[in-house]
Amino acid sequence: MTALLRYQAGLLLRSQRWLAPLLLYAAFLAVGVRAGEPVLGALGFSTAGLVPVTAWCVRICLTQEPAAARNVVAAAAGRSRAHLAALLTGTALPGLLGVLAVLGLTAIGDRRGVGAPAAAAAGLLATAACVLTGAAVGALTARPFLKAAGWSVAALVTGSLLALVTTGSPAKHALTALVTGARTTTAQLPWLACAGAVLLAAATAALACRATAHLE
Amino acid sequence: MRLERVGRRYGPRGPWVLREAVLDLPASALVRVVGTNGTGKSTLLRLVAGIDAPSEGRVTGRPPRTAYVPERFPVALPFTATDYLVHLGRVQGLGRATARARAGEWLERFGAAEHARTELAELSKGTGQKVAVAQALLADPDLLVLDEAWTGLDTTARAELDRAVRERVAAGGTAVFVDHDPRRLAGEADAVYEVHSGAVRAVPAAVREAPREPRVRITASGGKPLPEGLPGAPAAEPQDPDDATRPLVLTVDAAHSDALLAALLAASWHIHRLDSEGVRA
Repeated sequence: MTALLRYQAGLLLRSQRWLAPLLLYAAFLAVGVRAGEPVLGALGFSTAGLVPVTAWCVRICLTQEPAAARNVVAAAAGRSRAHLAALLTGTALPGLLGVLAVLGLTAIGDRRGVGAPAAAAAGLLATAACVLTGAAVGALTARPFLKAAGWSVAALVTGSLLALVTTGSPAKHALTALVTGARTTTAQLPWLACAGAVLLAAATAALACRATAHLE
Repeated sequence: MRLERVGRRYGPRGPWVLREAVLDLPASALVRVVGTNGTGKSTLLRLVAGIDAPSEGRVTGRPPRTAYVPERFPVALPFTATDYLVHLGRVQGLGRATARARAGEWLERFGAAEHARTELAELSKGTGQKVAVAQALLADPDLLVLDEAWTGLDTTARAELDRAVRERVAAGGTAVFVDHDPRRLAGEADAVYEVHSGAVRAVPAAVREAPREPRVRITASGGKPLPEGLPGAPAAEPQDPDDATRPLVLTVDAAHSDALLAALLAASWHIHRLDSEGVRA
């Protein structure tokens, strides 16, 4: 698996396809976050942006290889494992971004009434929830389920928005916890949302990895 | 390894591309798959290589290491030839140093050593195919699946691939291949399977086309009708009915060419030219 992850990460980094989602996320933060703003509110904003960014990144990793190169790797390592490696690589980069954003915003935000460790913990849990929900959206809206690029992108954007506003979505649950916390200046730790996102992402990954050898 | 009544269709309601395929792929065997284009040969190879899962039936006894060479290898990957091979070697379970050493060896064997540090995107089609072939041979696979892997290679690289496939089989591996050239590893295959409109059948050894000897083409013309019972039973291209003086082209096995020439000359025919047929690099 390490070799597969290394290969996928090599593809992503050397092709410079990571740059576009990174810039999108940086622009999103630059527009929406001010220094000195209440920390939990800023964290709520920054983690929300991770849902579409992760979905996009996962889609990039799933589609960055030409089909024949994918077949070569699938024969060598197994199709499911190759698919899982792409999903993990696509999730890892936004995850890293999210962690950096949480640490940075906790440092520069207004922490009145909320301790820095509590704010960072709430932010990291919400980051995990949003990144994993975004990964699930990305996995469901790319191959093997949606192969045509147009439909795939449309579904990805719609899916990301729905994941942010639909009741029951782990991302929405985690963001609500942060936003409510900002109003009441108490950091609630969204454990439940995080656990839900882990289950959702694991189930989606299992489904996608199993389906890829059957549907393509 | 065995494919038991395996079928494949794309999508749950798609038409069947392949049905009821039964294949035996023992160790130390060279297996050829033949059939015309679009009959499901590539689909069968993808099932054998484990790239696609069968829609029905099952595959048992899959060996641990499988390698696959696609028909057309895309070079649109952001790696140098060596980096790509090292990645693939590691995916196949080799250590970094071993993968790097083997990558160098195989590029050398296929005469692409000077492209080791070239970006894949800058490689010619032929050199790209050499990289595709090298990745499959890096880690001594137990099952080697070649889908027209020879296409695009130069003559020396083709011969080298023939040798590499023989080595794999001699070392206990199984090699399954498709190639448009009937003389490719002719007579060496332990089993031949024919794919015809989605059905697979084993071709018995007795019916397999024997490797053809070189044949000689004789272009001749004569006023008299051709003598009966010419030596070697030559194939004659039908004479133009409107123009009796147009030369006739007779094709015969090299072993009978002298006798046929003698017979034609004895019948006072005129020989225009002689050439050999069917032997191409």
